[in-house]
This record gives sequence, C-alpha cells and structure tokens, in this order.
Amino acid sequence: MLTQAMPEQQDWNALTDAEFRAIFRDWVDRTCPAHLRFMRKQRPVFDEVAEWYHALARKGWLSPVWPQEWGGMGLNAAKHIVYVEEWARLGCPRIPDHGIGLTGPLLIEFGTEEQKAHFLPRILSGEHVWCQGYSEPNAGSDLASLRTSAVRDGDEFVINGQKIWTTLAHCANWILLLARTDKEAAKPQNGITVLLVDLTSPGVVVRTIPNLREEADFCEVFFDNVRVPAKNVVGEVNAGWALAKAVLGHERIFLGAPSRPEYALKRLELLAEDRGAFGDAAFRSRYAKLRLDLYDLGSAFERFAKVLREGGTLGADVSVLKLFCTELYQRITEETLAVAGEEARFYDDLPLGDGGHVDAMNLFLDARAPAIFGGSNEIQRNILAKAVLGLPSR
Amino acid sequence: MPLIQLDDPDATLAMLRDSLAALAAEADGPATFRRRRAAGADLDPQVWRALAEAGFLALPLPEDMGGLALGRPELTVAAEALGRSLITEPYATLAVFPGTLLAALPPDEHLRDLAAGLGRGEAILPVLWQDARGRRAPLALTDDLLTGTAHLVAGASSATGFLVLAAEGGEPVLIHLPASAPGLRVVARPGIDGATLASVSLHDVPAGRVLARGAALETALTQAITTTRLALAAELAGIGARALEITVDYTANRVQFGKTIASFQAIQHRLVDMWAEAEFACSACLNAATAPEGEVAQAVLAAKARAGDSATAITRKAIQLHGAMGFTDQCDIGLYLKRAIALNATLGQPEELRLAFLSAERAA
Repeated sequence: MLTQAMPEQQDWNALTDAEFRAIFRDWVDRTCPAHLRFMRKQRPVFDEVAEWYHALARKGWLSPVWPQEWGGMGLNAAKHIVYVEEWARLGCPRIPDHGIGLTGPLLIEFGTEEQKAHFLPRILSGEHVWCQGYSEPNAGSDLASLRTSAVRDGDEFVINGQKIWTTLAHCANWILLLARTDKEAAKPQNGITVLLVDLTSPGVVVRTIPNLREEADFCEVFFDNVRVPAKNVVGEVNAGWALAKAVLGHERIFLGAPSRPEYALKRLELLAEDRGAFGDAAFRSRYAKLRLDLYDLGSAFERFAKVLREGGTLGADVSVLKLFCTELYQRITEETLAVAGEEARFYDDLPLGDGGHVDAMNLFLDARAPAIFGGSNEIQRNILAKAVLGLPSR
Repeated sequence: MPLIQLDDPDATLAMLRDSLAALAAEADGPATFRRRRAAGADLDPQVWRALAEAGFLALPLPEDMGGLALGRPELTVAAEALGRSLITEPYATLAVFPGTLLAALPPDEHLRDLAAGLGRGEAILPVLWQDARGRRAPLALTDDLLTGTAHLVAGASSATGFLVLAAEGGEPVLIHLPASAPGLRVVARPGIDGATLASVSLHDVPAGRVLARGAALETALTQAITTTRLALAAELAGIGARALEITVDYTANRVQFGKTIASFQAIQHRLVDMWAEAEFACSACLNAATAPEGEVAQAVLAAKARAGDSATAITRKAIQLHGAMGFTDQCDIGLYLKRAIALNATLGQPEELRLAFLSAERAA
C-alpha cells in the first residue's frame, strides 16, 4: 500500500535547494485547490482540507521529515525549510498535522515495530487524526505538574482526568496523551508516561472552547475511567517527559519563521495604500520600523537556517526567533487596526477600493496566540536566561 | 554570546580578531578614551599608529594603494572587534571613509600616494563635506578659491590634509588641501565619545589639486558612505554585545537581599531582551557583510539602523542594571553608552536610514 502511495520518491536531499524548491513549488501550485489558499481560518478542521491532505498523501509528500521507509520524504532540515517556506508562500492551508509532526516522529524514534506498522500508515491515509493531550487546567507553563492519571490494571491502563487547550480534538479520533503514572516520584517529571489513546473509547468526552476569534479550534477533553491497552504506551512507563521534550528538534526554528508577520505586513500595506496612509509621515515612520523588523527577522532566521543547512544542530538560542517573530506579528496587526481608524470597530473584513479585503481584526486576534503557544514568551525568556546567558538561580 | 558569525574558511577573520585582541591588550580602550578626553584631543596618536602597524588602516584599500584588498567580511570583523574592545579612535570616519572614497575614484599616481599614506597612518585626511546637521556642506570652489565651512569633522586638529568636497558651478569636485593651507581655521568641540569634532572654515583658500569631479565622484561618495556605514554597524554590534557581557557579569555578582540580582526574574527578562537585541544586530551585520552586490545598499541601511538602535538600547539598559555605579564616570559601562550614541549618530540615525530603505524599496 505504501509503495503505491508514493510514486514520486527519490533522494530529495541529493538535489540542490533550488532544484527541490522548483519541483515542490510547481506541483503544489498546480495541486493545492484555489479555494484553500490563504484561508482566513488558521486552523481548518480535517474535512475542510481533506482533499489537499489526501492529494499530498497520494503524492507521498504529506510527511516531509519521516524516513522514506515509513512513507515520508526523508527531508533533511535544509530541504524541510524549503518545504515550509514554499507552503507558506503559496498560501496552502495548515492541515491537522499532529499525526505528521508529533505522533509520527515520536513513534519513529521511540515506538515499537508493531506501533509503527499499525499507526504510521493510518496517519498517512487520514484514517487516524491526532491531537496533542498535554496541557491541563492547572498544568500549562508548568506542564510537569500534570495530574491526569493512568493506573495499571492488568493489560490495560485506566485514565482519569482532564486535558485542555487541545487543538482540533473535536475533529480528531486519537490523542497523544501525557499522563501521570507515579504520584510519588521524587521529581514530578519522573512520573509521566506517553500513551496513545483512542478518542472513541467509552468515557471520553470532548467539548470545544470558542476562542477570541469566535472559532472552535481548541477543546477540553475529559477522561472518566477510559481503558487503554498497555501496548499503547510509548517508550518506558514513567519515562515520558524526556520523549515529549525530544521530538521538537530542528522544527523549533519554524516557531520563528517570518511567514506570518510577512503576510500580515502585506495586508497592512494594502490597507495603508487604500486609505492613503503612506502620505502621513508618522505612519510612514512606524511602517518603516515594522518593515525593517521583518527584514531583520529574515536575516536572523537565515543565520539559524544556515546552521541546519551545514548539518549543525540548533541550541536554545534559536527561540530568540520565536520571541521576535510573535511579538512583531502582534505589532504589525496592532498598526493595521490603527490604520483602520473607526472601522476597527468591525469584526468582519475591511473592504478595499479595488474589491479586495483586509482581515484586520482577524489577524489582530490571531496574533494573540503565537506568543502564548509553543511555550509562552515569558517561559522562553526564563529558558534563555538559564540556557544561553547562564544566569544564576540564587 | 552574540558574535557576527561569518564563515572563515582560511582563518583570516580569526587572525584579524587575534591581532586586534593583542592590540587592545596593549592599548586599553577605556584608559585611552579617558586620556584623550582629558587632553581635548581628536585621536590618540599611539593607538592610531598601532592600528596602522597592525594593518587595520589599510584594510579597505586595494593592493595598488598599499592595501590588503580585503572585503566586506574582513572589514566587518575588524570593526566589530574594535567595538568589543572599546577602541574608540575615529576608525570609520578617518580610515574607512576617506580610504574607500579614494579607492573608488578613477586612480592616478597622486591618489595612490595619498591613499597609501593613509593606510600607513602617516596621512590623516578628514573629509570636509558635511554641514552642522550632517547634510552636504555649502563649500564652493570659485576662481580656484575655496570658501565655506564644514562641520562634524573628526581628526581635524591631527590632520595632515583635508579632502574637500565642494561645488564648482553645479558640479561636485574633490580637492586635496594641505592642512597648512592659508585661510583655513579649525574650531574644535568636545564629542561625547572623548574625541573632539571640529568646524573647519575656509576663506578664499587657494585650491590644491582636484582629485575627481562629476558623476564618478558622486558614485564614489555613495559607495564610501555605504562601506563606512557597514563598519559603523559592525562596531556598534561589537559594543552592544560586549556591554551585554559586562552587564551579565555584573548582575551575576552583585548581591542584594541575599541573592545575586541576576537571579531575579525581572532582571533576567531584561537581560534576555538585551541579548536578543545584540543577536539581531549581529545577524543584520552578517547579512550586510555577505549580501550579493545588488542588495548591499539596502542590507547596510538595515544593519546600521538595527545595530545603532540595539547598541544604544543595550547600553542604556546596562546603565540601569549597574545601578548608581552605572552613573559614575569611573565605571566603564558609561563609556560604551557614549561611544554607542556617537556612532549611532554618525552617517544617519536609525529613523533616517529606515525611511531611506523604505523609499528605495517602494520606488523599486
């Protein structure tokens, strides 16, 4: 089945970045449906983007970094950056990607052969749609304090507790769960286990939580005596914390990729042109600052990308990109609301003279999220203080 | 800690850094700053000679001008190292600017000799071209006589000669004038970075030799400004990175309430933001040092703006984190602030540079 699903495989890493870019862009541009490009919605549900998901899977291009033996493209970090850049440039929609980006890599690195053989093809086929069960009401930034429990009972674990901020759980059928298996561990990190849990199991309830954008992309998930086969533990029992932290790797660079602020600045430029704001010296000055911040983000991103291209690994310092990028995205969307003037009172998109629209409020609201997720910017600063500056704790 | 991470396949850059570190160990940047300031001087002849001997003054010159024909990466690293060591001689304005200006002109024998002297540190040739606000000065050449006043001139009291950018009719001309020319008057004022800046007035000064004129001169001037801004940006990046290190050390050792102040989260987050500023300055300089030829002008505008904002912000915050100690003249951190302010104000503050970048981009 896998060989049929990937007629287009080759050693992509043997190509130059430019060759790979041309091949990838050409196919994506021809294949990704026009109505899915530059979607207003940041996190469409599976059904909305299913045709694009399946087209990628048929081509064998759904999983950029999985090894080819498991149906991935086997891209190295440099080619992966090209993949992500072209995806953003062409305005392709984000697909529900927790299976591809989270569960898949975790299983490939730490899973049993049986787990890999069972789960990986089902991610590619879209049969299994995954979500990430990490945060809890009282365990957000302090994730290690999580309390959802998994208690061994024969060949099964019994799960009780609650997860929250579970993105797209309402359109997922599997959840990658971090659960507490040892309440007595000396350090809370040492009593956590990773489990693969079928969301259609009895005792699971999923409820959506409308967000600031009045859309339902995150959820809370309740577990009431949910029974999970013990063979669905990934790695060792009580050793899940290290697994959960291991999977990000080079992909941390993407939390600071300039594509969101770049898109937002383009929208600001369109609105400013339409409203004649470039004639205002004060606006021009503020716009120039945002433009140069974006340009300099590009230079900083390139410095870290170069490390990856040359086969190096990224240190903790890469999260400087996340800080700068997410805060720049916010500032651009704040300026867009300022240019909107009295029209900033509207929720819907602002009409332009040429018949186009600018989703000023949508972007402003969307920009609140990235500074919070993926480790809030305050947590990032704590980590950088220790890991990069070596600041003392007493 | 932040550094401009240029490729260094043949270890030239490492050699430059080592060479300057050796020089800095002898010269002691902060001490020289204070000594020069106390003397009301415009440069320190000993340090300037040491820079010449180490090859730094000839670095931007081509080989036929006695130079090392090194490129943007080497200049970037040299200037960054000067900034880190707080060697505050007017390197960008008095070595890079006249050097690259002469190097970009259609060459002749006299021009080569002038440039070679500059590289050896024997000739000190400030360019007279700015008015009090940094615009083109109204210096006029009429009937072979030069008249007008130039301001913001570094090295005027130490000068062996001047390169005068004047207008003859509507055409720009560049004239080499000996420092001893009659009718030439220098009035020096203290600069914030411990070196004087001068106003140089010319009253019917008989013009010396015309080095260049017209469009070729304008092109050379534009190139010289870009290269000098790159050197300024890299020096600012070095100042910011070093000021950050000093502040990390200070706060990690200063104990209050029974703990080092660097253990407080409020202080940690400020230091992280200062570090991020320094990182972005370095990556902007890296981009400007390696940009393809057609993109250099914009990349340099961005780098000078970023590094200027970054160095001035880091050093201001560094003063705050040093507490009352930071407000003393005795503490070196204040010298970093003053040097950052001076270089940031040289050849365009960030706002002006950003608007220039935007105008060029929107015109394209």
